[in-house]
Amino acid sequence: MRDRRRINRHLAGLVSAAALMLGAASPAFAEEIIVGVASAQTGGLAPFDQPSLAGLKIAVDEINAKGGFGGKYPVRLVVKDTRSDMGATATITQELVDAGAKILITPCDADPSIAAGQVTQPLGIPTLTFCGTAPILTGAVGDVMFGTYPGDNLQATVLANYAYDQGLRKVYLLKSPDSTYTMRLPEYFGEVFTRKGGAVVGEGSFSMNQSDFSAEVTKIKNLADKPDLIMTAGYEPDFPAFVQQLRAAGVSTPVFGADAIGTGTILGLGKLVDGTVYTAAGYATPGSKLAAFETKFKDVTGHAPESAYEANGYDIGLILDTAVTKADSVDPKAIRNALASIEKLEGVTGEITYAGTDRMPLRSVALVKYQDGARVFIGTQVPAAAEVPAP
Amino acid sequence: MEAGVHGVAERRLSKAMGGALVDALAMAALLVAVGLVLTMAGVAPQRTGTHAAIILTAVVSLQIFSGNTGIVSFGHAGFVGLGAYVVGLLTMSASVQASALRNLPTLLAGHEMPLLAALGIVVVLGIVVGVVSGAPLFRLSGSGASIATLALLIIVYTVLVASRDITRGSQPFYGVPRDVGLWTAIPVAALALAFARIFRELPIGLSARAVADDERGAAAIGIDRRFTTLFAWAASIVVAMAAGGLMAQFLGAFSPKDFYFGLAFTTLAMLIVGGMTSSLGALSGVAVTTVVIELVRRVEGGGEIGGIVIPPVFGLTEAVLALSMILIIWRRPEGLCGGRELNLLKRLGLSGPPTAAAEPPARTARLTIRADGLTKRYAGIVAVDDAGVELPTDCITGIIGPNGAGKTTLINMIAGAVAPTSGTLAIAGEPVTRFAAHRVARAGLGRTFQNIRIFPRMTLLENVLVASRQVVPGLAAAERAAMRELTRVGLAHLAEQPAGSLPYGLRRRLEVARALALDPAFLVLDEPAAGMNPVETEWLTTMLAKVRAERRIGVVLIEHDLKLVMKLCDRIVVVDHGRVIAEGTPAEVQANPDVIAAYLGSRTSARVLAQTEQETKPSNPTGEFSHA
Repeated sequence: MRDRRRINRHLAGLVSAAALMLGAASPAFAEEIIVGVASAQTGGLAPFDQPSLAGLKIAVDEINAKGGFGGKYPVRLVVKDTRSDMGATATITQELVDAGAKILITPCDADPSIAAGQVTQPLGIPTLTFCGTAPILTGAVGDVMFGTYPGDNLQATVLANYAYDQGLRKVYLLKSPDSTYTMRLPEYFGEVFTRKGGAVVGEGSFSMNQSDFSAEVTKIKNLADKPDLIMTAGYEPDFPAFVQQLRAAGVSTPVFGADAIGTGTILGLGKLVDGTVYTAAGYATPGSKLAAFETKFKDVTGHAPESAYEANGYDIGLILDTAVTKADSVDPKAIRNALASIEKLEGVTGEITYAGTDRMPLRSVALVKYQDGARVFIGTQVPAAAEVPAP
Repeated sequence: MEAGVHGVAERRLSKAMGGALVDALAMAALLVAVGLVLTMAGVAPQRTGTHAAIILTAVVSLQIFSGNTGIVSFGHAGFVGLGAYVVGLLTMSASVQASALRNLPTLLAGHEMPLLAALGIVVVLGIVVGVVSGAPLFRLSGSGASIATLALLIIVYTVLVASRDITRGSQPFYGVPRDVGLWTAIPVAALALAFARIFRELPIGLSARAVADDERGAAAIGIDRRFTTLFAWAASIVVAMAAGGLMAQFLGAFSPKDFYFGLAFTTLAMLIVGGMTSSLGALSGVAVTTVVIELVRRVEGGGEIGGIVIPPVFGLTEAVLALSMILIIWRRPEGLCGGRELNLLKRLGLSGPPTAAAEPPARTARLTIRADGLTKRYAGIVAVDDAGVELPTDCITGIIGPNGAGKTTLINMIAGAVAPTSGTLAIAGEPVTRFAAHRVARAGLGRTFQNIRIFPRMTLLENVLVASRQVVPGLAAAERAAMRELTRVGLAHLAEQPAGSLPYGLRRRLEVARALALDPAFLVLDEPAAGMNPVETEWLTTMLAKVRAERRIGVVLIEHDLKLVMKLCDRIVVVDHGRVIAEGTPAEVQANPDVIAAYLGSRTSARVLAQTEQETKPSNPTGEFSHA
């Protein structure tokens, strides 16, 4: 009996000693900050998430070489693959939180990002999507959710402002209900454009991958009120098919698009896309920060960036560094507040501002034009927050 | 006394149903046990478990339809989505609705229901949606029906995307309260699994499996394919929509693309891995897939094991999953469970085959099948031309004639398998002209086929049960009636074997037993002795004579074995070039000069007929008749 009690006391002593040790050890661990990355390294979202992660890794390596976030919190990236599956994204987010993640990065799409955000929101863990562009994304989750890539409404605003400034007044919107991007982006464009004094003279709809645009082309050709431009967020293979058939029908109205048409295929269309203006997260003019990043990226990985997502991923590293430095703490709530107050941060893709937004960044959007089989940089714009249409 | 015995029998569960209930309980208990383990393991494992349980519910819904009807469905994923949106709308808080869905019709707005109430509505709605969406399956079967389900998937997706005021279109639908945890998902999954296990033993499940195995064979025992398929579809849609409801509250945010081809193929792959034809298959498919994913994905992130640094290999999960699927399907084409259920009672030896029921009372009323002027034209060819026959009960009628004379077409018209071009048909005075085969069967006609049409993936007992339950009220009593027919044909000891494992001769016997289980007034046999050896033929002759004597039914048989026909039949109908050229007793027919001239034609044949006549009078060993 007595023995048993003594053992019990002994055990209790051991346990409390262990607890003390753990407690003492905690501050030592607190020096390190875990960034959980629930990203789609395989599946449908991989083409966006893989380059984003590659960019982020370069930023984190650089930051760690300087001692970590704020020079004193070494960063540990814990990456898990969501396989582009929503259920798995939520589960993996929970696992990353359980593993001690203080900041979370989510895939390049609104749905899984919202699913992940619903796990982190009650815990107050700041959560950033790699490149989800649906403007409702942040509102759907709450104050921990941040976008990083230019939102659909932001891109549309920059494009509409430019079109209006060029003296174009009548637009034809070509939309596809098959995705938020192809549906809402032209709608945002129409909203800004009419508010400025332009007019939407017609609207058409297409199915993604439909390949035959003859009905749409005929409709545009026979419009009584001829548009000055056609705006669409369609991309490959729809955009080339549409433009080819439009030009073949003898319609020379310029076609404007969004960031998804900044690819080599579209450039390869040559004369067909003369005058086509599109948006981009950034544009690497010689001597710019983006050009420097691209050189650096090539040095590290052995190949040039394939898209704007690498640079955006790198910028996420810079955004986080700035926020933790500002918060001077690894407390998720402090980091969140610091993130929300970021103003005019100079990233490699341009200026990034969260202050005064609903956490979709107000940031520079580059405008690029195809001319004679080459890209011509028009300039970058940061629209006023009030100009950007509500999601 | 008799009624009392029957009453007790009907209240008792059928053996199959008893076994199904035990299996259902065992699988539910297993799920609960897994749930308990996961509960102790932490939040993340619980999420994995919850997601797996929801996916299991979706896979089970697919199993209920595809596993029983044999029609691979791509459409269920869409209905999972429909369920998700319904539950999402009904349970959403009014304030979120006001901001996220500004143009929501007032009918749908502000319900703020608890999950259970919303699931109740989903079940009711599922029945309606299931019946309406199942309409195309009325006319289609096999791969045609599969393609129709694919079209349904696209339609549901398009409707979800197009209903922007209600669903936010292709944009994420968000703000659904997340009240689904492990202990909501597991009971629903267990319930769905239990339902699937029991469903296959229910009359409707038996019928669906029979249709899947052989559509014409099923029609011949009175099964309405259209009703059966529609019922199975509607039942499975209810489960699919319930799975969607859980999914909605588990995810909290989703869009139509989450319930499109990706989900359709994932659930289908899981079901195929486990084995499509059993509820255990659905369970094992989901379990194996989940375990493989969970194990491999812990490795792929890289790390350090025993001092060795392993680099991250993303995509390993997908690769291992794909590889294991190929392996499983290659090694076990019928899936992990080989299409078998748990069958705990049978495995533990706690359940034997049911006892055989007593013979039904003999028919006293004299009935007749009357065909008048039956004609069937195929394009320019007249297969049957103005045939008029009367086939009474308590009589064995043989239909003979050379190959291509139109015998099979004639009895196919009588059995409703072929619609006549003109002419009328009545059974026991009731007109049945142009009735579908299953309605003719219900009017009292059982039949066998020239090329045997049993249900190979069902057991012998099930083969016969699916017929006997058409006429015997109560599954338990029907089971015993089925055993009686199996005993009659000497197959009772093989009752639990799959019919596909039987040799040819025994398959014919099984088909006869199945036809007899309908307790028909008429038994139509298309070449019952084809491919049988003399001993088997002798057995068949004796058995048919006995059945006819005991039950006083009308037996109609087409046979080329003239010796058998002459010995067994009371009346003979001779058909040639689609016309009935003679009718009468065997002696009359054999003496008929028209039969000798028109049916046999040549001198050689006349000699054969004379020889047959000789042989059938005294008993004589050989007698296979061949057409010269």
